[in-house]
Amino acid sequence: MDVVRCRHGWARSRGFFLVLNKSIVRLAIPVAAGALLLTACGSDDDGDGGGGTTYKIAFQGPLSGQNVALGENMENGIELAISEANSSGDFDFTIEYLAADDQGAEGQATAAAQSAIDDQDVMAVVGPAFSGPTFVAAPLYGQAGLATVSSSATNPTITEEGFPTFLRAVPNDNAQGGAMARYLAAQDGVDSVMVIDDVTPYGEGLADVAMEELEAAGLQAQRESVPADTVDYGGAARTVTSSGVDALIYAGYYEALAPFATRLAESGFDGIGISGDGSNDDEFINLAGGAAEGWFLTCPCTDASAEDATQDFADRYQEEMGEAPGTYSAESYDVTNMIIQAIADLNGDVNRQSVYEALAGGEYEGLTKTFSFTDTGEFENESIFLYQVEEGVRGYVGNIDELIGG
Amino acid sequence: MSLSDSWDVLVLGLVLGSLYAVIAIGYTLVYGVLQLLNFAHSEVFMAGGFGGVIALTIFEPAVDPSGMQSVVYVLLGIAAGAVLGGVIAFGLEKAAYRPLRRRNAPRLVFLITAIGASFFLYNLAGKLFGRYPIAMPSMYENKTVFTLFGTSVSVTQLLIVGAALVMLVAVDVIVNRTKLGSGIRAVAQDPEVAALMGVDIDKVVSRTFVLGGLLGGVAGFLFGTNLQVEYTMGFLPGITAFAAAVLGGIGNVRGAVLGGLLLGVVEAFTVEIWSDAWRYVGAFAVLVLVLMFRPTGLLGERVGRTA
Repeated sequence: MDVVRCRHGWARSRGFFLVLNKSIVRLAIPVAAGALLLTACGSDDDGDGGGGTTYKIAFQGPLSGQNVALGENMENGIELAISEANSSGDFDFTIEYLAADDQGAEGQATAAAQSAIDDQDVMAVVGPAFSGPTFVAAPLYGQAGLATVSSSATNPTITEEGFPTFLRAVPNDNAQGGAMARYLAAQDGVDSVMVIDDVTPYGEGLADVAMEELEAAGLQAQRESVPADTVDYGGAARTVTSSGVDALIYAGYYEALAPFATRLAESGFDGIGISGDGSNDDEFINLAGGAAEGWFLTCPCTDASAEDATQDFADRYQEEMGEAPGTYSAESYDVTNMIIQAIADLNGDVNRQSVYEALAGGEYEGLTKTFSFTDTGEFENESIFLYQVEEGVRGYVGNIDELIGG
Repeated sequence: MSLSDSWDVLVLGLVLGSLYAVIAIGYTLVYGVLQLLNFAHSEVFMAGGFGGVIALTIFEPAVDPSGMQSVVYVLLGIAAGAVLGGVIAFGLEKAAYRPLRRRNAPRLVFLITAIGASFFLYNLAGKLFGRYPIAMPSMYENKTVFTLFGTSVSVTQLLIVGAALVMLVAVDVIVNRTKLGSGIRAVAQDPEVAALMGVDIDKVVSRTFVLGGLLGGVAGFLFGTNLQVEYTMGFLPGITAFAAAVLGGIGNVRGAVLGGLLLGVVEAFTVEIWSDAWRYVGAFAVLVLVLMFRPTGLLGERVGRTA
């Protein structure tokens, strides 16, 4: 099958549509993509591009609205996985893609989920992308018996709700707290650590776990809370420097970390600074300038372009989508392939129930990590990746557990 | 807490407190002449922050400016903050409050208008400049200028306290020694009699707003330099400065300064002794206690009538 021609056609049509009205584009991209997959690719003659039964994999996430960039990162990863599977000739079925746009908002989540549930060909859903819509949509998917595998909803409490068919294919927020603590414990000369949260549920959850792990590792741990809207970080910076700690964990978002890091640098703090994915954003460097230098940042997301395992994926992605993989692109690609593999392993006995059971009970070796789930649908591994700001750029360091040899 | 620690904390508190003091004057002056709690003043402050960002972005500072360059950029930022603050305050009085005064609207309507104007302005700023924080372009290297009893004082801290001091003295002179000042005091005491004596009340009120706006705008610029600029940045400092004005005795300029400094210092010590999460608990406990024993505030009311 002439994969290259097919991909170029897709890319061209996408570029063309981008100059049109945005709402038309939203409708047109999935339609165009679907049409191309079915006609241009499907009718190709030098290979059997799938065939037999058709199953659908849906994606629920923000495909319009404020967070559209994140949704498109994931959608691209999913579509790449589907087009590769269909053109590989390894499967005796064809996969189609269904977009369920929830704009990343709770209010749109019901309609988005229902559109996936109502289509009987949909065998599994990738998503919901965000935690808020997950709380709304997961019960509906549960009733419909439709498996939903999120590669990015990291709110720890989701899996405590007992949603029947929800699987989390990403370590939750709290896992980052543990990973930060383990990383610091493995560093020479780090005996005392201060943990500061920003008094949000995200920050407090992360900080709680970090404290537990630090104490378990036998380090001296102190806890402070600094509300994200504080009017002056001078006092907090003083608390850190005068305590003489060797390292600081900041559990919060970059908007607050930026002025805090500035004050810390001015007050002469020279210990290790580390923060979570709430701060893992280039905007942190823009706001904090030189004070961002040296800060470590963690994320459950890998940098697909920097890891050997995903390098090949990143190249193919670049070729097809015309851009480098974004946050969670590789993870969505993995999750989609996991679903396709689960369907293939069922040897024709494919229904929503059997797909869910295959996913929940199985183990899948992806590019980014190995996927398996606990009884509550929680992700079983804790792969957390480390980044560091160096010379004004967020550089990728690696998988924390591999870095500390754990 | 050792003595040198206390000194460190006192410096932090005085820096924050002098900002509160400058903002509080805007509340107190307007209250003095109109008995109006101008809640939109926090947005005048916010506008000053954006004024600084806009001006400094347009004139794009050289990388790592120093010496005379730094001085020019700082003055530019102060001027831009003052101008935008003054313009917003002037427009606010003209568009929102003057029509109400013409129609003799009840007090409650003024208050609701003030709150409405505040919502309007900060949402407008969010729409225009984006709903995310913006860093003030770097004007100088924020190093230690001098060490005082073991406490190092940075350029930003010196700038804030210095600029605040100049403005506070200037306002005191304007209110007590100039023609505009006697106008303000006359209108505050009895607007009808003042009008009969030939005071142009509209002009005095408008200029009072502008005076408060200039100060608020500069405070916004200085605050943004110390932290960052964001469309919601006016809320907490605004509320605190309003409390400072009440603490010192609303309507009284020197009271506002005293109240602002006191709240800033109490906040700093609360943060030091407990934590940042207790900041406002400490500060506002002091406010409540003081008002319990002195309901008119620390310096009572000198300029205006009894609230």
